[in-house]
Amino acid sequence: MNERRTLLNKIKKYDFTLKELDLYLDTHPNCRRALAMFQKYRELRRKAADEFARLYGPLTPEQVTSTEKWTWIGDPWPWERS
Amino acid sequence: MNLDLFDNIEGMFFRERENISEPVANDRDNAPGSDKLFAENTPLAMAYVPFQQWGETYSDDEALNRGTLFPQLDFPFTGGGDGR
Repeated sequence: MNERRTLLNKIKKYDFTLKELDLYLDTHPNCRRALAMFQKYRELRRKAADEFARLYGPLTPEQVTSTEKWTWIGDPWPWERS
Repeated sequence: MNLDLFDNIEGMFFRERENISEPVANDRDNAPGSDKLFAENTPLAMAYVPFQQWGETYSDDEALNRGTLFPQLDFPFTGGGDGR
């Protein structure tokens, strides 16, 4: 598995964990342990997504930072194998 | 109808509860009553969903694989459509 896919998988795992914590916190809004874990994974997810965008291009249009070129439409798309 | 049958129902209820693993006792940040499986004065003969307590979590790797972050909610479906 190449590094791009490894990083994409990492983001996928972080997203899943964040969604699970999101659903738990919906019914347990004051659970500090869940909140701490959510913040930890939010940061991990942010770092991984930033790194992905830096190396392989944006995952979402909001990640486009270029003032030269609209990199959102650049290949490959996140779901394409490469 | 002989209602004496139900005289001891509360005792049965609490004896059953003793067999259920104790919820995390010191997580009192949650809403009142949430540190118990059932709220006080829970009426009988109604259906309830026990309130989830914070406990063990899988690693992010394992969670995606199992389809849940929480081992206490990990109930793999083992039945098949045609008797398998």
